Amino acid sequence: MPTRISPIEKFAKAAAKCSVESSAYGKCIVVDYNSVHKDKCLTEFLRLKNCYLAAAKKP
Amino acid sequence: MKPTTLRSFLPRPAINQRICISRVSRGYAVQAPGNPTLQVFNRNTKYLQKERAASNVERSRQADYLKDEVAMRLSERLLDINRHFNHVLDLGANSCNIARALTLPDPDIDPSKTTSPPLSTRISHLTAADSSRTLLYRDVDLPFNQEINLTRQVLDDEERLPFEAETFDAVLSSLSMHWINDLPSQLAQINHVLKPDSPFIAAMFGGDTLYELRTSLQLSDQERRGGVATHVSPLADVRDMGGLLQKAGFKMLTVDVDDIIVDFPDTFSLMRDLQAMGESNAVLGREPGGIQKDVLLANEGIYRELHGNEDGTLPATFRMIYMIGWKEGPNQAKPLPRGSGQINIKDILGGGEVK
Repeated sequence: MPTRISPIEKFAKAAAKCSVESSAYGKCIVVDYNSVHKDKCLTEFLRLKNCYLAAAKKP
Repeated sequence: MKPTTLRSFLPRPAINQRICISRVSRGYAVQAPGNPTLQVFNRNTKYLQKERAASNVERSRQADYLKDEVAMRLSERLLDINRHFNHVLDLGANSCNIARALTLPDPDIDPSKTTSPPLSTRISHLTAADSSRTLLYRDVDLPFNQEINLTRQVLDDEERLPFEAETFDAVLSSLSMHWINDLPSQLAQINHVLKPDSPFIAAMFGGDTLYELRTSLQLSDQERRGGVATHVSPLADVRDMGGLLQKAGFKMLTVDVDDIIVDFPDTFSLMRDLQAMGESNAVLGREPGGIQKDVLLANEGIYRELHGNEDGTLPATFRMIYMIGWKEGPNQAKPLPRGSGQINIKDILGGGEVK
């Protein structure tokens, strides 16, 4: 019987595959974290999210 | 000249009239008796979170490392008090972590003796009280229960203590008071159930606890959604605790802090551990349904960039506030009055310039 993987574990696993994009996004925020506004790093985030979605799809 | 208006010709909306009527009948505004209680946390949510966490016994035990460590450090402070305690209360006992810590071998071993009895030999009876039954009874089958005279008591409401006045020779509390809404009232109640000249020793999360998670979630909320929601509880500060203890009538106060930094592989394991500890967010007015996936994904990157260690792990700070206060009693040592000192401390310490 396969052990049940919780949704957050799946999420973490997929997110871990996108460390490059995640770090690029983080750098974009941290470079000037006193003036963060909505969609400040939208392009970086979309890159990260696309990577995550692709990673989450793979079994 | 008054500007002409059409308002008096229009039919008056019903709601306006109702407001007028209620205004007439209200009379004077008076404050309800008693202090207004400030509600910060949803106690019922906290209760459910603890029940849920404890129902997964294995996960819950794995995540007990912090509570066990703090319970151990807290019970070490009992060593400073050379006394036998007849009846001790552990308030907010979680899974009886203090009881377990008390049965461990004495950490402060007397070099002249080969063995030292555990602290539990100095306590005749320990009452462990918590609102979550599942968590309180989680470890009821473990061997440490036989080594200490322990009674478990489920409280209906941790903020109202059901004990008689002057019942206990000491009250201990480890990592549960940070979920109390009305801290001044809680401390006053603890003072009430203590016998005169008895200590209250407690540890709670305070100040900068989880500041890494707090700041990175704020940034990711801000960037993804354009606003900030409460994800990490507001916590008491070290400076506040002294005042609160004093206001509750405790004497000879000692308050100190201790940071424990735990390294996690990623933010998800941090949050899963917090959940397994039963320490998830229970602030009133938090968003229902947890954190959005987008924010979680953003948070991972920001946490790592902002706070991450060089070896790729993520530190999480837990700041413990330890406090000791004594209930006033006859023949208790008191601080000398101001200005009664006869010797200048400068003469004893050498009196050099402070560098």
